[in-house]
Amino acid sequence: MIVKMCLLGYKHRVPVTLLLLLVTLFSLFGMQRLQVDTGIDSLIPADDPARQVYQRVMGEFGTDNKTIIYIKDKNLWTPEKLTRIEQLHLAVEKIEGVTRVDSLFSLHTIHGDDGKIVSRPVLRSAPKTEEDALSAKESALANPLYLGNYFSNDGEVTAMIVSVADVEDKNDFSRTIYQALEDQIEVHRSEFNRLTQVGPPRINAELKQSLYEDFLLLGPLSALILVLSILIFMRSWLSAMVPLVTSLITIIWTFGLLGWLGIPLNILSAMIPSLIIVIGSTEDTHLMAAFLRGLDEDVEGDSRQHAVKYMAKHIGLPLVLTVLTTAMGFASNLFSNIELIQHFSIAATFAMLANGFITVLVLPLMLSLFAPDKNISLVKDKNTKSVPNRIMKLFRYSQDHFPLSTLLVTAVLCIFFVMQAAKLYVTNDPLSYFPSDRPLIQDVKQIHEDLAGVKIFFISLESKQAKAFQDPKNIKKLSAIQEFLDSQGAYDRTISLADHLKFMNREFRNTSVEGSIPETRQLVAQYLMFFHRSDLDSYVSHDYSRANIVVRHNITDSHTLNQYIEELESVLEQIVGPDMRSYIVGENLMVNHAAESLMVEQVKALVLLMTLIFLIMSAMFTSFKGGFISLVPAIIPITLMFGIMGFLDIPLNPGTAMVAVIAIGIAIDGTIHLLARYNELCRRTSDYVEAVNTAVQEEATPLIVSSIALAFGFGILIFSNFTIVAQFGALAAATMLFSIFANLLITPIIMSRIRLIGLYQILAMSVDREVLDGSPLLQNMTNYQRRKAILISELHEFEKGELLVEQDTIGRDMYLILSGEVEVIRKDDGESRSLAVLKPGQIFGEIGYIRETERTADVLALENVSALRFDYERMQKDLKFFPNIVAKLNFNISYILGKRLADMVGSSKSK
Amino acid sequence: MKLRSQQNTVIVALMTSCLFVQNSFALISEETSGIEIMEEVQKRHQQFPYIYEEQSMVMEDRHGKRDTRKARRYSRMEEDGSVKFLLLFDYPKEVKGVALLANRDANGNTNKYIYLPALGEQLIESTGEGSNDNFLGTDFSVENLTGEILIEHAYVRRNDKEIKGIKYFVIDVYSANGLMSEKQVLRRHFIQQDNLYITLTHHFDKQGRVSRIQSHHDLKPVDGDMWRANMILMVDKRERHQSLIKISKRIFSHDYVPAEVFTAKWLYENYPYIESPDNSDVEEDSVVSNETTEENAE
Repeated sequence: MIVKMCLLGYKHRVPVTLLLLLVTLFSLFGMQRLQVDTGIDSLIPADDPARQVYQRVMGEFGTDNKTIIYIKDKNLWTPEKLTRIEQLHLAVEKIEGVTRVDSLFSLHTIHGDDGKIVSRPVLRSAPKTEEDALSAKESALANPLYLGNYFSNDGEVTAMIVSVADVEDKNDFSRTIYQALEDQIEVHRSEFNRLTQVGPPRINAELKQSLYEDFLLLGPLSALILVLSILIFMRSWLSAMVPLVTSLITIIWTFGLLGWLGIPLNILSAMIPSLIIVIGSTEDTHLMAAFLRGLDEDVEGDSRQHAVKYMAKHIGLPLVLTVLTTAMGFASNLFSNIELIQHFSIAATFAMLANGFITVLVLPLMLSLFAPDKNISLVKDKNTKSVPNRIMKLFRYSQDHFPLSTLLVTAVLCIFFVMQAAKLYVTNDPLSYFPSDRPLIQDVKQIHEDLAGVKIFFISLESKQAKAFQDPKNIKKLSAIQEFLDSQGAYDRTISLADHLKFMNREFRNTSVEGSIPETRQLVAQYLMFFHRSDLDSYVSHDYSRANIVVRHNITDSHTLNQYIEELESVLEQIVGPDMRSYIVGENLMVNHAAESLMVEQVKALVLLMTLIFLIMSAMFTSFKGGFISLVPAIIPITLMFGIMGFLDIPLNPGTAMVAVIAIGIAIDGTIHLLARYNELCRRTSDYVEAVNTAVQEEATPLIVSSIALAFGFGILIFSNFTIVAQFGALAAATMLFSIFANLLITPIIMSRIRLIGLYQILAMSVDREVLDGSPLLQNMTNYQRRKAILISELHEFEKGELLVEQDTIGRDMYLILSGEVEVIRKDDGESRSLAVLKPGQIFGEIGYIRETERTADVLALENVSALRFDYERMQKDLKFFPNIVAKLNFNISYILGKRLADMVGSSKSK
Repeated sequence: MKLRSQQNTVIVALMTSCLFVQNSFALISEETSGIEIMEEVQKRHQQFPYIYEEQSMVMEDRHGKRDTRKARRYSRMEEDGSVKFLLLFDYPKEVKGVALLANRDANGNTNKYIYLPALGEQLIESTGEGSNDNFLGTDFSVENLTGEILIEHAYVRRNDKEIKGIKYFVIDVYSANGLMSEKQVLRRHFIQQDNLYITLTHHFDKQGRVSRIQSHHDLKPVDGDMWRANMILMVDKRERHQSLIKISKRIFSHDYVPAEVFTAKWLYENYPYIESPDNSDVEEDSVVSNETTEENAE
C-alpha cells in the first residue's frame, strides 16, 4: 500500500498536484484567521482549582494588571522635575484606554500634627518653590503605605501606576497602550536619570514583537542551514530542495489548521517552522538516500520509477513508523493541562503527520520531474574522508576493539549524568522567557531594587462573619502573617488593612513610633471612615468579611518561590484559626504550580511515550528485546541531556521540558531505519556482525547527515528572542548529536548480539500457502509461526542445473523448497542413480543438519529453485532468541527423520 | 369638605408655581450675568437659617456593593453671616457619635473638626489643602453640601440648555483668583429655569474632563419659592462609585438646632469616650426609608 501511495505522486502528477494546491489554498485562508496569544493565561492549567479562587479574589480586590512608570532622578523633588512629572501624569491620563493614573499628584496622605489632622494630596499640582517641593517629599516619604510602592526610601525614585481598561487583548491593544505610554515617556526621558515603564502591556508587546522576530528569523535560517547541510553531505540540489518544498507546504497546512481551529500562536509556536523544516527533512534525506541507492541498481526501463519503488519498498514502512514515533513524541503533550504546551503539541503533532503525508506525495512527484537517472551524489561516494565516514571509522574501531569497554564507559557516563540530573529544578516565570540582558528584565530588576518587585500575589482571608475585619483580633492575624512573611526575608513589600490602620492610629495619636492596631472595633470603624472605598479596595471586601494581603516580590525561580509558599502554608492555618479560611493566590503562583505539574506531566509523557515505543517496536520486531534495543539510542541521549541540564543549571521550563519527549520521537527514527536495514540484511546472511556492519555502513550517512542537520536546525533556535526556545534548541541539538553516538556506536554493539525479525517482513512475505501447509517441516505450526520460522532461515535462489548439495562434502545446512523442483542423485562407483525428485514443501539435507557427516547424495536444481536454508549453527544461536520456533522446527525434523527410519525399516521388512 | 380643601391647596400651589415661573423669567434676562444668577439662586433657596436633617448615606462602590450610614445634619446661620454645620453619625453603631463640625465665618474661612468617640474626648482639627476634599469616605466635600461661597468664585454664564424638556441656565464656576484666561473651569452648574434650583453640577478634573456628577432629585417646594432636594447623588466617574444622600426628615426650626450642639461639650456628654473593646455582634443594615417628612417649625 505504501508503495502504491509513493507511486501516486510519480504516476498521477496532475491530480496529486491539484489536491495539494486545493488543501494549500484552503490552509492559506485559514492562516488569515490566525491569532497570537502571548498572555499568561495559557501558562495556567485550565482546571487549576486555584484559578477560580484567583478570579474571585481579583474580581473583589482588583487586578494586578497595572503598568509602573519608574522615574528616577537625584533631584526629583525640585519644581522643575515635578513639573515634568505632572506633565507626564496629565499626558498619560489622556491616553485612550487608560482608566486611572496614580502618582504623587493623586495620592492623598494624612498627617497628625499637634492636635490637628492634616489630610491633603501629596501634591495637588507642581510646586512653585523648592520649599513646597521638599515639603511634599517629607509628606510622601512619611507615609509607610506609599514607601516601596510609590517612593523609594531615599526619595530618588517615584512610581506612576497606570491602570488600563481590563479588556481582551484584541487589535493589538497591549501594543497600542505600550506605544502610547512609550511616546509620552520618550518626551521626558532625557529629563530624568531614568524613566521607563514595566507592566503587562510592555511585556505582552515585547512578547509579541519577539515572536514576530523569531518567525522572521528562525524559519529562514533553519531552511538555509538545512540546505547547506544537505548540500555539503549529499551534494545534491534536489535532496536539498525536496525538504524545503515539503516543509513549506507543511507550514502552510499547519498554520492554516490552527487558523481554522482558532488555536492561537504562542511563544512556542515560533519554533514550529524550524521544527517542520528540520525534522521533516530527516525523512526526506532517508528517502532520497534510498532513491539514489535504487538508481544504482541496474534495471531495464524507467530507472527512476524503479528507484522510487525501491525507495518505497525499503523506506516506506520505516517512514510510516518514524513519522508515527515523531508525532507521538509531540503528541505526548496533547493532554497537557498547560494550554501553551497543549497548543504547541497540537500544532507540532499535526505538522509531523502532515509532513509525512506531504512527503509521500510530493517527493515522488518531484523525483518524476527533476531526479537524475543515475546516482551522482555522495550516497555512493566511498570517500573515506567524508565526515560520516570519519565518524564511522572511529566508531568501528571502538566496536571492533573495545565493545564491552565502550558499553561500560557509556554506562558510567549515563550514571554520572543521572546523578547530575538529580539537581534539576523547575521554573516557569514568564519574565524568565527573556534573556537576562534584555532592557525589560533590567528595568524589572531596577524597580525591584528601588521600590518593590513587580510580581504580586495575594493572601486572602475569609470569614463567615460580617465585619470580621473590623475586629482588632482578626486584623492582628493579618499583621501576624505579614510578620511571618517578613521573617522569610524573601519578599520586597507586604501591605494590608493592618498597615492602613496602624498608620492611621499613629497619625491620629500623633506619635512618631510605629503605629499599633486600634484596640477597639469602634476605633477601627471610625478610622476606616477616613478612607475612601477605593483606598481599601485592594485590601478588604466591602462587608469586611474578607481581607487581602498584597505581597510584592521579585522571585523569578518557581522552585524557590514554591518553597517559601509551602513554608507560609504551614503556618497560615495556625495563624488564621479554624473560623477562617485562607487562600494564597496569584497569577505567578498558578504559573508556578503549573511548572511543578509540568515536571510530573513530562515524566508521565516520557514514560508513556517510551512504553508505546517499546510496545510498538517489540511488536514490530516480534520480540521485547527488539523493543528494548530501540529504546537504547533514545534513553542514552536523554540521560545525557538531563544530566547536562543539571550540570549547567538549566531549569526545566515549558521549553526544555519538552526536549526529552520530542528528542525520543526523533532519535528513534534513526534506530528504526538502522534496525530495519539490519533485519533485511539478516535475511541474506548468517553473519550477524557483517549484517550490522553493512546496515551501519549504509545507514550511517543519512543518519549522520540528518542528525547533524537536525542539530544545526535546532541549534538555530538559540538565536530566538526567548530563552526557553533557545534553551530548547540548544538541548535538542545536543540530544541529536548524542543520538548519533547512541545509534551508531552503542546500538550496533548490542544489535550484533541479537537477532530480530520484523513483523512487517512476516506480514509482507509472499509464500505459497499450499507449500507451507504441505511441508512436513512446518507441520503443526500456525501460519504466523511458519512465517517467522521462514524468516529465521536464509532465502537462496538457485538456477536450473545448479548443484545445491554435493555428495561426500560436509555441510550442516538443511533446505526447504519453496518453488521449483530438485533431483536427489546418488553416485556410486561412477554410476548416478536418481533417488527422488523433490517438490515445493519438501526438505533435503536434514541428515547433515542433525549430525556433522558427509552428504550422501547430490541435489540438483531441475529448474529455477527458491529454497530456504536452515543453518545448524545459526539455528543454535537463534534457539536463545526464538526458542519456541526452533524447538518446533527441531521437533518436526525429528518427526521427519523418525518417519524416514520407520519407512526404511518397513521397506527392509517387506524386502 | 376635606376634598375641597385639597383642591384649593392644589389650585393655590399651581397658581403659585405659575407666578413663580413667571417670576424667575422676569428676574433673569439674557443679559443677567452668572454671578447675578447665582446670587438669586442663593437668595431664593437659603432663606432658613436653621436646618435639621436626618439623612441616610448610601455609598456604592465600583462593584455595586453598598454601605449605608445614617446621620443627622445640623446647620445654623448666625446673624453675623457665619455658619455652623454639624454632621453627626448614628449608624452603623460602631461609628455612632462620630461628628464633623464645621464653622464658616462671615469671610468664608472654614474650620473643620472631627470627633471620634473611640479615640477619646478631643476635637481634632481637620485641615486640608482643598475645600473639595471628600469627607469621611463619601464622594461629597463639605462644600458640596453647604453650598459655594460666592465671593470665592467667578461665574460665567454659558448658553442656556434644554435637557429632557427642562430649560436650564448654565453657569461655569472658576476660582476667583487669577486671570480668567489662565483659569480652568472647576464645575458647571445647570440651574433649572423654572425654580432656579441647581439640579445638576458637573465637576471637572485638571484635564477638563467631567470627573464627578452631582445631581439633585425629588425636589420639593418648601416655602414660597424656596425648594429643597430630598436626594442628592454624586457619581465619581473616575473611581466608578457613587454616594447618595437621602433626607428622610427635614425641620426648619431654631429649636432643633440649638447653639450648644456645635460644641465639644455637647458631643462629649452625649457621645462619651468608648474605652473598652466592644465586640458584640454587628447589627443588620436597616432599610433606608423613602419617605421624607418635613416640618417648618419656624
